[in-house]
This record gives sequence, structure tokens and C-alpha cells, in this order.
Amino acid sequence: MSSISHAAREAVSAAPRRRRRLGRSEWIGLLYVAPAVALVAVFFVAPLVMTAFMSLHNWPLMGEHRFIGFDNYVAAWKDIRFWRAMNFTIYYTLIVTVAIFAVAFPLALFVETPRRFNGFYRTAYFLPVVVGFASASLLWVWLLNVDAGLFSPAAVALGITPKKVNLLADFDLAFWSVIVMVVWKVAGFTMVILMTGLQSIPAELSEAAKIDGAGAFSRFRLITLPMMRRTIALALILSVAGSMLAFDQFYIILAGGPRNQTITAVYWIFSQSFVSFKLGYGAALSMVLLVILVVLSLVQLRLLRNPEGLE
Amino acid sequence: MKKLSGLFAAGAAVMMLSTAPGFTEEATIWVRADGSNFMPQIVEAFNKGHENQIKLDIIPTAELVQKYATAAAGGTAPDGLSLDLIYTPAFAAAGQLEDITDWAKGLSYFDQLSPAHVKTGTYKGRIYGLPFSADSSVLIWNKKLFREAGLDPDKGPANWAEIEADAEKVNALGGEVKGFYFSGNCGGCNIFTFMPLVWASGGDLLSDDGTKATVDTPQMRDAIAFYRSMVEKGLVPEGAQTDSGANFFAAFAAGNIGIAPSGAFAIGALNTQYPDIEYGLTYLPGKEGGWSSFAGGDNFVVTKGTPKLAVLKEFLDYAYSLEGQTLLASRGSLPVRGDIAKEALKGLDPRYQTAADAMAKGKTPYSVVFNDIINSQNGPWVQMVNEVFFGDDVDGSLATAQETMQSIIDAGGANQ
Repeated sequence: MSSISHAAREAVSAAPRRRRRLGRSEWIGLLYVAPAVALVAVFFVAPLVMTAFMSLHNWPLMGEHRFIGFDNYVAAWKDIRFWRAMNFTIYYTLIVTVAIFAVAFPLALFVETPRRFNGFYRTAYFLPVVVGFASASLLWVWLLNVDAGLFSPAAVALGITPKKVNLLADFDLAFWSVIVMVVWKVAGFTMVILMTGLQSIPAELSEAAKIDGAGAFSRFRLITLPMMRRTIALALILSVAGSMLAFDQFYIILAGGPRNQTITAVYWIFSQSFVSFKLGYGAALSMVLLVILVVLSLVQLRLLRNPEGLE
Repeated sequence: MKKLSGLFAAGAAVMMLSTAPGFTEEATIWVRADGSNFMPQIVEAFNKGHENQIKLDIIPTAELVQKYATAAAGGTAPDGLSLDLIYTPAFAAAGQLEDITDWAKGLSYFDQLSPAHVKTGTYKGRIYGLPFSADSSVLIWNKKLFREAGLDPDKGPANWAEIEADAEKVNALGGEVKGFYFSGNCGGCNIFTFMPLVWASGGDLLSDDGTKATVDTPQMRDAIAFYRSMVEKGLVPEGAQTDSGANFFAAFAAGNIGIAPSGAFAIGALNTQYPDIEYGLTYLPGKEGGWSSFAGGDNFVVTKGTPKLAVLKEFLDYAYSLEGQTLLASRGSLPVRGDIAKEALKGLDPRYQTAADAMAKGKTPYSVVFNDIINSQNGPWVQMVNEVFFGDDVDGSLATAQETMQSIIDAGGANQ
């Protein structure tokens, strides 16, 4: 990563200030990146421009659309239910990110140290990641079902609860059920990212510190954590962006319930676009969410960038 | 987009040229999956006896509106559509549907067609939808459990007190058996089966023209208290609180529920799929008696500008014939032609007659934002029913529902 950005920086500074015709090698370079540029243009830039365009229209799913300027954005600003959904999304993101790291970091430390059956452990922890979010959610719909599922009847059979508890009927129980499901599903991925970071720390550093008499905790705090800044930043940004865009699990398992308390931002956008048929308004909300996500990612990058002089 | 639709129109014109007289024409129609018990049969019967053909696509119920809208935007919409009648005003308002006023008024039996369908099929004085299939809400009870509980298995409850008393007796059988069932997290189910309790007692949810929400009425509060009392007494299974409709029919069909509000469709479904369940069927009563019903079903609508109008007319004429009405009735869809309903139902399960009477006198709320306020899983109606049946703050829930519904209605009206 850093070598590429280095090269890019050098290339930029080396470029002469006045314009000149492109040389042969530069044409070839352009040719090489052309497929990537085309892909980005068709599948990212074009939809983005289209979304921005739609957001300025009253664009029903059926019938004619008309230009209304920034009315959708004004409506979004006043849309209590959108901001409530945004609030919930941020709350969910905070909790689930902490939960994922709390599980993934120990797992990474565990599978990184050489021991027997390590391959088995790594595979086992990673397996839920390859299940799609929708299929995993459907599996948990069954697990969490009060009558035909696993948890509630099992709790009664084991004598933990006197009668079946409907896990999906109460906000806290439902919310934490989803958190458990997401951690089960995602922690393996974060674990792998963190593991590669751990493996890139030279063993000599740790050994030297050991010889100097540093305990396990201070070695973790003073060597492992600082050396993993970049890796943690990557894992964090992926986790936060993924959680801010959460939809499947709340749609499939909870349908936004109990009592519409678990509607996420994307859920609300979906609902406005395809249940209320207001595509233009949904597009405007998407743009708002995009801006919020970009800001969040920039803030995280800033917080986790390397301290001065350490590259 | 304009250019595209021009192209499609040109294509359609070419196709019309190539289908000169003597060639058979094929029109495509869609139906929601709820209709898969009768629609394939009537299409097949039509295709057998006619030169022109109908091609049927069955669409998952929850996806029908999105699929149709995207298909219409892309110029690939079906020629006709059997559409949940409550959506007809919204589709007509969006300018998707062909105005079929002249055709409708030309039918000799037009004034005999199901009034609920015709009312929802009319938008700003023009007709955009004609009745196709019909379903009314009713109350069903399990005769076997009634007998075991020492109740008269042939006498259904006729008011709320009787429902509750009977449910308690059945519930006392214990084990897996519960007295009463309703889908406590399902908007569609509760507008279909809970509101008739309120209507039968004299209350309403929306004004007749759909412009005012009237949530907080004494009748609504009474009906809520009735359901709450049954929940508190443990007569309703735990799963009801989070059932978003998946168990609406299945809970009763499993044979462990004493009484459940349901629909006419249950007659066909129980008779064919659960012949062992012995059940009775009666009207959804008011607090002190009387009864009401939600008159539901599908309107047949025509996509604006379709070149296949003649085929669709032929198909609908067949569906309205005695043969067609009898076929539909035998598959669980009530007759929509009042003048031949009795004849069409002759020889069928007599419980159909009760459901047909319920249909004839049933109510259907009219709103262009029905999906938003009632059917949407995240709309104010679902949230309200779940809160008032299982929550602690009935007053607050009613106030929130009233405010949210009215604001959606106002915004929806402004958009049209």
C-alpha cells in the first residue's frame, strides 16, 4: 500500500507543470487502466450520478417524474423517522463494532500463536463468513422462533426459563439476538484481517522487549497495538461502513420490529423507495447517507493515521 | 425514456400488424401468489375453449407491486393484472391503468358486480378496475376442540363476550391447545379481521373518502380491550406477538386453536389441504352482536395502452359467465356477480354462502396510500396493533398512530 502511494506521490511531483503531448508509454499505461476505469465508470460513477439526478426529482416508482430541485433534501431534513433510523443505525454500529472487536481480537491472538489444529480453528471461526447475510438471517429466524426454534424451547427444557420467552418481542432481547448473530457471522472476517496484522510484526521486537523484562500486557499495549494501527484502521473502517449499511438482518429477522424500533437507515431508504414508491426521495436519503459515511471514514482515517515520523 | 417508449409503441404497432384476423392472439396477465389456488385453473379452462390465449405469470404476493412498477417503467408490463383491490386507487392515480369506464358500464350486469370492488376500482369518477376474485373475513372455530371443552360444536360465538368465554373453555383443555389466535404483528391480517369487529360495533378507521384518519374511537378502544384481555388471560400463543402473517392461516390449520378470525379462502384451503380439521364458520361479530366483514380480493386492471384489450375482454367475459364464476367459487374465490352468486355456489360447501353474504355486505377502506398506512410492515397501523395488544401505553399508541396516519394521508394527497 505505502509503496504504491509513494510511487504515486513521486510520479505527481515528477510531472512537469506545463502541458505536453502524452508519450507512448503513457498511452500504454492508460490502456492498462482502461478496463478498471470502465468498470468504475459503469458500475460506480454512472449509478452515483443517476442517483444524484433522481434525488432532485419527484420520482414515483410508477408514472411520470418531475424536477423539484432540493425539495427532497428539505423533506429529508424534516423526516423524523429517517433521523430516528439514523440514530438507531449509529447506536447499532457502535455496539456491534465493539462486540466484533472484543471477539475477533482474542480469536486472532489465539489462532496466530502456533499450536496444533490451528488450521482447524481458523477454518471453524471463518466458516460463518462465507454464508450470505440473507441465508444466515433466515437460519437465525428459525433459531430464534419462539415455538419451533431452538433457543426458547431449549431454555425451557434446561429449566433456565419457566415458560417460552419470545426473543423477538422485546427490543433489548431482539437487538442483542441480532448482535450475537452478526458477531457470529462477521467476527471470523475481522479475525483474519487482524491476524495478518499480527503476523507482520517482526518477532524480534517482542523478543527484545521480553529480554528487557516487559510483561505480556505491556508488550501488547506498547508493541502489538501501535504496530497494528493500519490493520486496525482497515478492520474498523470495514466494520463501521458495513454496520452503517446494515439491512438484511433487521429486515429478515425482525422486519424492523418490535414496534419499528430496529429500522436502520438503509431499511428506511428501501421502505421509502419500494414500499412507499418514492424513488426520488429514497435517492436523496441515499445521498445523505453517502455523505455521512464519507465523513465517518475520513474521521477514522485521521484518528488512526500514523504519528509523525513513524512510517 | 421518451424515446424508448416510442420504440416500444412502434414495436407494438408492428406486432399488431402481424396479428391480422385469423391469427390467435396471446395476452399476458399477472396474479399474486395468493391467487394460485384458482387463477391457473380458470386460465386453463379459458385457453381450452377459446382461440385467443392467456399467458399467466404468478408473482410472489409481497413483490407484485414493485415488479409491476419496474416492468411498466421498462415497457414490459403484462397486458392485464389481477390486482389486490386496495391498490387500485394508487395505481390509477399513478396513471398506469387504462380507463375502462365504457367497457364496464356496457356490461348488462354492471350494477350486480361486487360494490366493494367497484368502489376501489373507481378513481376520480372513472373506472379502472373490475371485480375478479373475492375474499371476505369471517370467524372460524374448531368443532373438535369445542366438543372436548364441553361446548356446542355447532354454535359459533355471536358477540365478543361469547368469543372470550368459548376461548377460555377451549384454553382450559391445556397442553398445546390455545383458545384464540391472531397475527399480532401483521397489518394486512388485522385490517382484514380486527377492523370488522370495530365496524360491526359502529366505529371506523378512515373517513369514507379516505382523507381523514379516525383512529381513536370508543369502539376501537373496546375492541382493543377485548383482545388485550384475551392476551392477558393467556388464551393466545406467545408466537402471536411477533407473527407478521406467516401463521395467519397455519396456526388454526395445525388443529390446536379454538377460535380464529380468518377469511373465506380458508374454506378452500382447509377442505383441500386439511380435510381432518372439523370447523365451523360464522360472521365476525360486533361487541353486542351484529356483524361485519372486510370485502377483499382482486380487481382486474388493464395496463395503459395495451394492444390486447380485446383478448382481455374475452377472458373477463368468460370469468363472469356462470361457468367461470362456478369454477372460481369451487377453488375458494367467492362469486363477484351478485345476480348469479346463488347459482354459482349451488352444490358447494354451504359455508361459502355465509362467506358470500359477508362479502356482499362487507366494507373496504378507500385510500391511495393504503400500502403506506396499513399494509407496510413498518407503517403506523402495524405498529399500533402490536403496541395496543401487547404494550402498556394504549393512549400513546393511538395518538401516535392517528398523527402518523394523518400526516401520510396529507402528504400522499399533495403528491397526487
